[in-house]
Amino acid sequence: MAGVRTPASLHDVELAALAAAGDRPAFGELVRRHGSAVRGLLRRMGAEPSLADDIAQDAFLAAFERVSEFRGEGTFSAWVRKIAARLYVRRWRKESRFDVEAEELEDSHGGEISAAARIDLDEAMKSLSPAERMCVSLCYGAGVSHAEAAEALNAPLGTVKSHVKRGLDKLRLRLAPPEGATGEPAGSKGHG
Amino acid sequence: MAELDFEMKLDRMFNEPPVMMDAEAFARLVEMRLDRGWNLRQVGIGAAGLVAGLVGVSQLLGSRLLFDAGEATQRNAVAFTSSVNGLVQTSENISALPFGGEVLWLAAALGVMALAFAVTRAVEEFQ
Repeated sequence: MAGVRTPASLHDVELAALAAAGDRPAFGELVRRHGSAVRGLLRRMGAEPSLADDIAQDAFLAAFERVSEFRGEGTFSAWVRKIAARLYVRRWRKESRFDVEAEELEDSHGGEISAAARIDLDEAMKSLSPAERMCVSLCYGAGVSHAEAAEALNAPLGTVKSHVKRGLDKLRLRLAPPEGATGEPAGSKGHG
Repeated sequence: MAELDFEMKLDRMFNEPPVMMDAEAFARLVEMRLDRGWNLRQVGIGAAGLVAGLVGVSQLLGSRLLFDAGEATQRNAVAFTSSVNGLVQTSENISALPFGGEVLWLAAALGVMALAFAVTRAVEEFQ
């Protein structure tokens, strides 16, 4: 029985090739492996859990339609996360609920930073303004460059860079170990 | 350097998938939607084929193509019959000539010989 290979034993690239040939169970295995990563990213970008799940589903369906384009140059997870992030950005822009050029909001958590919050990225992300959250998630979670993020958000590149920088400064403070909670000098090299 | 370390740490954190208890249910939901989409697509293709077939048949009937084809076949049959009749008439005319068939064969053989002679001469002239 050594010749029998179940979807669970195959590599992502092999599963994607099978899916490209119309093998839906193979694609289901990819969803099983990477569904949480995609849903997690959307939640970190600021989507409500139910909306994040809806968009994640749409992203996987879109990924199935164009899975033949996936050549295995990056990871499958990163590829689908990028698709999902773009879908979410498009939705935000369509609903005009997001102004990337708006000034940052008040720190919703303000004041004391608990020890637990320091090590939890999800919690730390909540301390960012929507624009910062979106830009940081796009650049670090979806792996897009600053220029690609600016294009997707229809915002000037400089604005995106400054949102990323401010977001990183806040995250650094939130994620720092307790003894370093006083904060370090700000500065960012960014991704793109 | 600390900056780069922090960014690498952030990359790692973003790449760590969160543990979700309903991951299996989510995957099943996506598979269900894929199956539904696939079935819908098959029904759509079948319906489109049926509609296209019906449209094609109605166009064929509407354009009088079958009627025209029938007429053309009939015309061809008439033309073929008249050609055969003409051939029969010609052979009857030949039979009615005052000399026999041997004379005709002899004339044909002489014609072939004359042609061969002419070709031979022409080849010699141009060599």
